[in-house]
Amino acid sequence: MFVAAASMAGAGCRSTPSPPDRTALRPVALPDLTHAAEPVRRQVRDRYASLTETTSNPNATSPDLANAFGEMAKLFMAAEYREQAEACLVNAETLAPGEFKWPFYLAHLYKARGEAAKSAAAFERALRLRPDDPATLIWLGDAQLNQGRPEAAQALFERASSQQPQSLAALFGLGRAALARSDYAQAVRWLEQALTVAPREAAIHYPLAMAYRGLGQTAKADAQMRLRGPGDIRPQDPLMTELDTILESPVAYEVRGAKALDDRDWKAAAAAFRRGIELAPQEPSLHHKLGTALFLDGDAGGAAEQFTEALRLSPTFAKAHYSLGILLAANGRTAQGAAHLAEAVRDDPTYVEARIRLADILRHSGRPAESLAHYDQAAALDPRAVDAPLGRAMALVDLHRYRDARDRLVEDVKQYPEQPLFVHALVRLLAAAPDAAVRDGRAALALMRDLLARDPRSVDVDEMMAMTQAELGQYGEAVTWQREALSAAQRLARPDLVRRLADTLAAYERRQPCRRPWFEDFGR
Amino acid sequence: MPHQYVKRALTAALTVAALAGGCRGREGDRAPGATMAPQGPWFSDAPPQSGLDFMHFNGMSGEFYYPELMAPGVALFDYDNDGDLDVFVVQGRMLGSKPIDAALFPPRDPSALRGRLFRNDLHVTADGSRVLHFTDVTEESGIDARGYGMGVAAGDFNNDGCVDLYVTNLGSNQLFRNNCDGTFTDVTKASGTESPGWSVSAAFVDFDRDGWLDLFVGHYVNYSVDRNIRCFGLAGGPDYCPPHVYAAQPSKLYHNNHDGTFTDVTARAGLAAQFGPALGVSTADFDGDGWIDLYVANDGQPNQLWINQRNGTFKNTALVAGAALGAEGEAKSSMGVDAGDFDNDGDEDLIVTELVGQGIDLYVNDGPAVFEERSARAGLRQATLPYTGFGAAWFDFDNDGRLDLLIVNGAVTQNADASARRDPFPLRQRKLLLRNDGGGRFEEVTDRAGPVFALAEVGRGAAFGDIDNDGDTDVIVGNASGPLRLLLNNVGQRRHWIGLRLVGHDAPRDMIGARVAIVKADGSTLWRRARSDGSYASASDPRVLVGLGDSSQPPAVRVMWPDGRTETWTGVPVDRYTTLTQGSGQ
Repeated sequence: MFVAAASMAGAGCRSTPSPPDRTALRPVALPDLTHAAEPVRRQVRDRYASLTETTSNPNATSPDLANAFGEMAKLFMAAEYREQAEACLVNAETLAPGEFKWPFYLAHLYKARGEAAKSAAAFERALRLRPDDPATLIWLGDAQLNQGRPEAAQALFERASSQQPQSLAALFGLGRAALARSDYAQAVRWLEQALTVAPREAAIHYPLAMAYRGLGQTAKADAQMRLRGPGDIRPQDPLMTELDTILESPVAYEVRGAKALDDRDWKAAAAAFRRGIELAPQEPSLHHKLGTALFLDGDAGGAAEQFTEALRLSPTFAKAHYSLGILLAANGRTAQGAAHLAEAVRDDPTYVEARIRLADILRHSGRPAESLAHYDQAAALDPRAVDAPLGRAMALVDLHRYRDARDRLVEDVKQYPEQPLFVHALVRLLAAAPDAAVRDGRAALALMRDLLARDPRSVDVDEMMAMTQAELGQYGEAVTWQREALSAAQRLARPDLVRRLADTLAAYERRQPCRRPWFEDFGR
Repeated sequence: MPHQYVKRALTAALTVAALAGGCRGREGDRAPGATMAPQGPWFSDAPPQSGLDFMHFNGMSGEFYYPELMAPGVALFDYDNDGDLDVFVVQGRMLGSKPIDAALFPPRDPSALRGRLFRNDLHVTADGSRVLHFTDVTEESGIDARGYGMGVAAGDFNNDGCVDLYVTNLGSNQLFRNNCDGTFTDVTKASGTESPGWSVSAAFVDFDRDGWLDLFVGHYVNYSVDRNIRCFGLAGGPDYCPPHVYAAQPSKLYHNNHDGTFTDVTARAGLAAQFGPALGVSTADFDGDGWIDLYVANDGQPNQLWINQRNGTFKNTALVAGAALGAEGEAKSSMGVDAGDFDNDGDEDLIVTELVGQGIDLYVNDGPAVFEERSARAGLRQATLPYTGFGAAWFDFDNDGRLDLLIVNGAVTQNADASARRDPFPLRQRKLLLRNDGGGRFEEVTDRAGPVFALAEVGRGAAFGDIDNDGDTDVIVGNASGPLRLLLNNVGQRRHWIGLRLVGHDAPRDMIGARVAIVKADGSTLWRRARSDGSYASASDPRVLVGLGDSSQPPAVRVMWPDGRTETWTGVPVDRYTTLTQGSGQ
């Protein structure tokens, strides 16, 4: 606890600044750090010692004290000791009312707690000190939107935009404010402009879809909705960015690394994870994440080392088994890859992705019977994982169980109406299954007609139509379609595909049908 | 012990002051709706002598197992058909391998850890005052719910006129058939509704209009204690994990085969290929076509609006309908949900409770089943930002004819401040009461609601219903690692109201899903529906209680039954409960 009331020596001819009034300051105690990581404990204690030293100094000026409280506050905020942070920031603002950053940080603290009115008030105080600060304008605009005041929000976003015309956050804010006012035309205008600034920002698409919907332009709304994705559009905020870098804890570095992965900055991610490992070398998840970053950065060897280390630290770490399994299989070490994937599934029987990848390896290794159980289980665990039922159908074909494959695919087509691959697989089976009892050229043709009405032409579609026509004995048509497929494959510069299509074309020219529903590349 | 942090409120007397003509809320009985109600807090707590003595045990032992956070749900239902609402609450058990005495808050009686059934022994005295008392009848009921209980759904699945219970668990669920003699039989296996995994909310719903209640079971995530993942806060202290560290589990739709068994029709109904970690479920006719739809609130993933295609299948339109995500397209935490016509325009609007800093969602139905998120404009977002909401519902607490909101709150993550205070379960938050001003906005009136609203607890389930049959809606709250909390409404009865029990003709049960239009003397229409689902993991009173404000004129009532037929009754009595049986109207 600091002690209030310093007195200044009087006398002298020079004017000296009046001592800071400490009576109004809030007490700031060191919190119980028992549950904090050791590096964080050291950080907090060191900073608190520095604060205490300053507050104990009777000659400390207001700016000195404000700074000491402020720096303490930043660390408290980063470590989420928000009560202590609030006390420090209130003190800092009291001592240095002209300093912008203290009410700014305070506003963010209140925002994190959901205290919207206090947050807005603090942002307003910050804005009075720096009227043109873009970040403050945007955050305050957000606060006004939360309070149901889109007109007030619009004015703030406009000011921000006038400072930074290319500010994505400002344009996005203008769009959201317009949407909140049900001014859909303006919302479209601003959000489309935001898209030109950041065409890959997936978070823009949802509100833009809503704006088009409000205008009754359902086709455009649907198109935007299909493009939507997660994202967090924020203003450039150097003060808060600084806060994100303060904390020295393994979890903090893990979070920084994860954010870098989201930003596709593999090197930054790896650096963050490495630093986390320095603080917590026995933490397997950090090694696993470092391995992931290295893999994405093209360092497969480094990745394998980290996955292996993660497993040394935690032998039943399913995700590490999965990652190492995938990496080994991709490098041709299929048996070892499969072993790790099997281990992942043993450690976590609900690990759907591991099951599917293991099933794929088994199937491609000539073990389709073993793959079936894994596909079945994966499909039951997560019906959204379409690779599982598709793989199951392919495994059944590998096992010559064409009837079962057809029956399953008929159900899959109903269950997954949005997934064209099931229709494709069914068409291929109906057109080219070795079992005559399963083949049905007319049914295949009916499906193809629907497909052609819906989907754009592609190598796959043309090839399927050729198979269907051949099954119906229409070899002239089959040749025409197969040639289209071949031309398309040549344009795509796919020599393996070209070879295969050419072989089949030759068969059609000899009036021989195709009796192989698909090849290794199907579905990939 | 957590309850030492609970400040016991000053409790009003259970005995409500004498009111003219007060009796039990059965047909023909009149409960007062006039203005002689006593002044005092809007809501009162129930003191210990009420008999509603229950402390939830979540089995926490310092290991931060995820399920510790998520229960309990509660049910208000009339199990003995005596005209008043009884209470069922699920119970937890020890998690992990530590012995029960290693629990941070050991239960009073470890041998008694099971879901509890409390019979309501409501007694109305000669002078009309109400004496509320509950008796724990769990033993004699035969309900043996010893799993790690999450929530409960109530509905008469076998159409014998007695309400059955479906208990969701971490593990396999349980279906208890009401034997109509005060006892229940566990028919889970025979019925085929075990639905193993981790379920939270469930709903009985007649989705195919065959007159029999089917069952939707919302599943959460793939979780087992053995594979519990350890999570930490930024400073390094242990914490509960967010849901995304676990994979979502597919929810299930079971069709009632009319013979005590159910068939899993999830895939056939088109629900299998899209699912998320389901927490809240609400069933209502969102597009006004007379067929019941499903709304599922998913934790951290887009919510789903399953529109009934009238052929046994559903289509998820939540995204394009504007009801899947927050206003900016973000997937939010989405725990509790309820549907209700808060703006009296004849269609069902939605609220979904959210995490601290996210704010509640208010999806306003602009018809048919096209929604716009307007929580900020309505004044709801700002009021709810500081809280993590769970159980919630639309209800007209003051009987002014406008649907208000009550939300029970409780955090899901530790914070460093609480850890620093050495608080082992620092998730307590207070409840919120928000009054509908009739102009599209809500006013937070929690501070006027009574001391019981000032209690900070870890609120989870909340069931809504008129427990003392005095014409206003009360609330029962399940608190994680806390006591059952009764919020007894003292103000709704000051205004006029109409109470309806909607009963089938062929099936003598509450017709869940029936929509009701109450046409007042001034020509205005209020829309309500009979429902027991919604909120969070809980089951509410299916009776329809509608506030009429100052109007004492008997309204006309038009009922749209779940099978599509419509009937009208005129001059339905005010300030009493009336049973409307299908086929007895015009």
